[in-house]
Amino acid sequence: MSDLAHAPAAHHDEHESTGIESRKLGMWVFLSSEFLFFGALISNYLLYSNRAGFEGVYPAEIYDIPFTSVSSFVLLMSSLTMVLAHHALSRGDQNGTRTWLFATAALGSVFLGGQVFEFTEFIVEYGMTLSTNPAASAFYMLTGFHGTHVALGVIMLLSLWGISRRQGGLSDKQGLNLELVGLYWHFVDIIWIVIFTVVYLLSSPPA
Amino acid sequence: MTEEHHAHPSPGQYWKIAGFLATVTAVEVAMFYIDRELELGFANAAVLIVLSAVKFLVVVGWFMHVRFERPLIARFFTAGFVLACSLYLVILTALGVVAIRGG
Amino acid sequence: MTATAQRPASTIFRRPKSTSGFWGWVTTVDHKKIGIMYGYAAFLFFILGGVEALLLRIQLTQANSEFLTAGAYNALFTMHGTTMIFLFVMPVSSAFMNYLLPLMIGARDVAFPRLNALSWWIFFFGGIFLYSTFIFGTSIPPVAPDGVNFGNLAAGGGPGTFNFLAQSPDGGWFCYQPNCGPLYSPGTAMDFWALGLQILGLASLISSINFIVTIFNMRAKGMRLLRMPVFVWMSTVVAFLLLFSLPIIAIALFMVTFDRQFGTLFFAPVGGGDPILWQHLFWLFGHPEVYILILPAMGIVSEVLPVFSRKPLFGYSAVVFAGAAIAFLGFGVWAHHMFASGITPVAQAAFGLATMTIAIPTGIKIFNWMGTLWGGKLWLSTPMLFAMGFVAMFTIGGLSGVTHAVVPSDWQQTDTYYIVAHFHYVLFGGAVFGIFAGLYYWFPKLTGKVMNPRLGKTHFWLQFIGFNLTFAPMHWLGLQGMVRRTWKYAPEMGLEPWNVAVTIGAFTIAASIAVFIYNWRHSRRHGQPSGLDPWDARTIEWSIPNPTPEYNYAKTPTITRLDEFWHMKYDTDDEGRAVRRPDADELIERLEHEGRNPESPIHLPAPSYFPFLMASGIPIVFYGIIYHTTAWGKAMIALGALVSLSSLIGWGIEPLEEAVEHHDEASSADAEEVADPHESAQTELE
Repeated sequence: MSDLAHAPAAHHDEHESTGIESRKLGMWVFLSSEFLFFGALISNYLLYSNRAGFEGVYPAEIYDIPFTSVSSFVLLMSSLTMVLAHHALSRGDQNGTRTWLFATAALGSVFLGGQVFEFTEFIVEYGMTLSTNPAASAFYMLTGFHGTHVALGVIMLLSLWGISRRQGGLSDKQGLNLELVGLYWHFVDIIWIVIFTVVYLLSSPPA
Repeated sequence: MTEEHHAHPSPGQYWKIAGFLATVTAVEVAMFYIDRELELGFANAAVLIVLSAVKFLVVVGWFMHVRFERPLIARFFTAGFVLACSLYLVILTALGVVAIRGG
Repeated sequence: MTATAQRPASTIFRRPKSTSGFWGWVTTVDHKKIGIMYGYAAFLFFILGGVEALLLRIQLTQANSEFLTAGAYNALFTMHGTTMIFLFVMPVSSAFMNYLLPLMIGARDVAFPRLNALSWWIFFFGGIFLYSTFIFGTSIPPVAPDGVNFGNLAAGGGPGTFNFLAQSPDGGWFCYQPNCGPLYSPGTAMDFWALGLQILGLASLISSINFIVTIFNMRAKGMRLLRMPVFVWMSTVVAFLLLFSLPIIAIALFMVTFDRQFGTLFFAPVGGGDPILWQHLFWLFGHPEVYILILPAMGIVSEVLPVFSRKPLFGYSAVVFAGAAIAFLGFGVWAHHMFASGITPVAQAAFGLATMTIAIPTGIKIFNWMGTLWGGKLWLSTPMLFAMGFVAMFTIGGLSGVTHAVVPSDWQQTDTYYIVAHFHYVLFGGAVFGIFAGLYYWFPKLTGKVMNPRLGKTHFWLQFIGFNLTFAPMHWLGLQGMVRRTWKYAPEMGLEPWNVAVTIGAFTIAASIAVFIYNWRHSRRHGQPSGLDPWDARTIEWSIPNPTPEYNYAKTPTITRLDEFWHMKYDTDDEGRAVRRPDADELIERLEHEGRNPESPIHLPAPSYFPFLMASGIPIVFYGIIYHTTAWGKAMIALGALVSLSSLIGWGIEPLEEAVEHHDEASSADAEEVADPHESAQTELE
């Protein structure tokens, strides 16, 4: 295992005209397009979240800030475990990599569990569903898509973890994949940073 | 040929960064409650936006490693971000969410 | 040249070995084959879209005609537009990009060959999914909340034939809300539209990532960005446009689907939703989309004109930067489609002004093309005729476009045939003419033959006359009050005579396409052999044998300047004129020989089942979403997801170092693997 495990095998990287591995460049290109994706969802929410005149309960009326703060903290810490996994791999510590990968997936799952709990509360306690009003629709759409991204991330993390267990470790090439999953994971985290502030802390229902 | 591998932060530094992020988050939550009491209005929004921007940039710069990568990566990322902000700002203005004088 | 494979390591399925035959096509990851499949599929949809147009034209030939029901008419113009944009122009551009980009930058394949195949298969299944609406789609007359029937003619009300077509999407290709929402368009037709477009968008997004990485990372030595052919530049710009505009329409389509299927209230005024939000989101995508449609053709024309003027492109850098400027500005003008939708005067002024600025880079390109022709020794081959036709017709379309930028003028033109004239001049007179220029020009690379020039010229003139006869009268028909998207007009409006002319023009176009199809098929078999360089071309894709060898370049080229291939054949004398070198013909023979005889075995990416398999799961999921209230629907969602997810995992596990060894009969089967810096044997996870 090379000491810098994300250097791919020699005969593959001779030809990147930019000097950046193709798969890495591809992931960054993809992530830059995701800004447009989440931007639309966030704009949608900003449009409707405090528009007056809707029937039914507005999301901003029923947020549980302490709960969501803990959720946000959990997701933030999962970014830490993610970089620790990456770092472990770069030092050839396959066991450590697996541990931190699993930890990241676990924290991500806790976050998702929190989302599910939160949504259930909203639906059962307050009767706010997708169809209550456009503000509710926008809220669920935004957080739902974010949650879906997290879920896909968890699947990818667990896949890497599983492959590592099966093979006794990740090869250099797979190490790049871990880095790519990491980039995706951090991206999902930074979107949540924006959502937490804009949706939970800053938005309020119409006066 | 491939990117040079600059120094990565050590695990210790990663933990410190995580601590910093957690602290900022705590401050944000505190601001939320402070604002509920004191009704700071726009100042509250400004502070929260700045704080989350800091968190955003720290995760991008250190965890996503952009600080140590080739500039092309930062350019792609910034391009998407700036484009998204501009386009949606215009739409929100056109739809009346953001008011401009005389608009 | 036979290709033999090495035995794969253990995987669930035996790794496919063959690069020929039916399974060779299903499992191919070769950009050329993928490009060819895109091309044929796109052309099939072109025919279907054309038939839809002809049916529309038959209806409109006479005032108060009852050839089609209103519902059938609405469905036909919806599917005509949707087909031509998403199932013809975009995939045929993709065909060109797939086939040519690696060749033009001196690479052996794209950055992610399996991902490339995935894009193609997703498109393939998406097209089938969308068109299956003609079989499965339903369109129910909507009923108002108070129980009164709205009287929508969509589901077979009213006189006319082809009623079955009325069960297809009928809200226009832009699907304005809430007309296309659950209240006013019940049934499944619009769901097929929304979900179909979602699938197609995914294919294009994946492609765009692939092309961007390919162009940035896989260029041959010395191929600096400003030495790339203009077509490559335009493809780069288009890839960025797709990258940034597709997520917006994806969200918008999700919102429509959720409104229709899951009860959200994004666009439903009854619940507080805002229909204008749809228009903003749609056109935020829709305007960059039209530049996505035209820029590849502009790139093609920028390749063809210099070759057949025997001069370099006038102002290469300006043409490149103008293309980038058009794309950039193109993100800022979307609300010019909404001048009559009630946006504020400030917004109207801002967008009107922004729209006018796009004329500047466009004008730069047009003047540069004219500058290329000026003083050139023109060879009026078929591709050249189409390229020149592009310049002329696109200019006309652009001029009518400028008149739309003037807001009060646009209020008169909106929803009339004047607009139809504009966009057909730029999209047909522009993009389609450009596409045909490219088909005739690069036909030799595909087949090793040249298309028959006489038939080609017949095609051109029939198409040119037919096109102008069809769309020129629409300018004045529109100004005289002929309204768009309306299945009849009254006799006293006096619109009939020119409508007859238009229909004759439309059928003339059809005849010209028939000539083209005949020419294509005939020339594939009996066309004159082209040799390596039939057009005395300028760019390096012509420095390798025709038809293109499977590995593209036997030896990857080193680039020292723009138009490298031209400068291999020509020197410049003191007066700046090109002088053919005495050894040019020898050079061509040498290139032919070397191109067919690589010195050492070349490793190519191995074929794979997984792109096909993974793509096949997606329409299953989407059928399931349409029928999700039934048990069948839920099962389909689960099944499709399972198929796609397991394919993804299989793909990830698929061993990386598979290679189909390619060598000619002369070299020994045990030839050692040479670490070729430009081999694209890297296969990848996603």
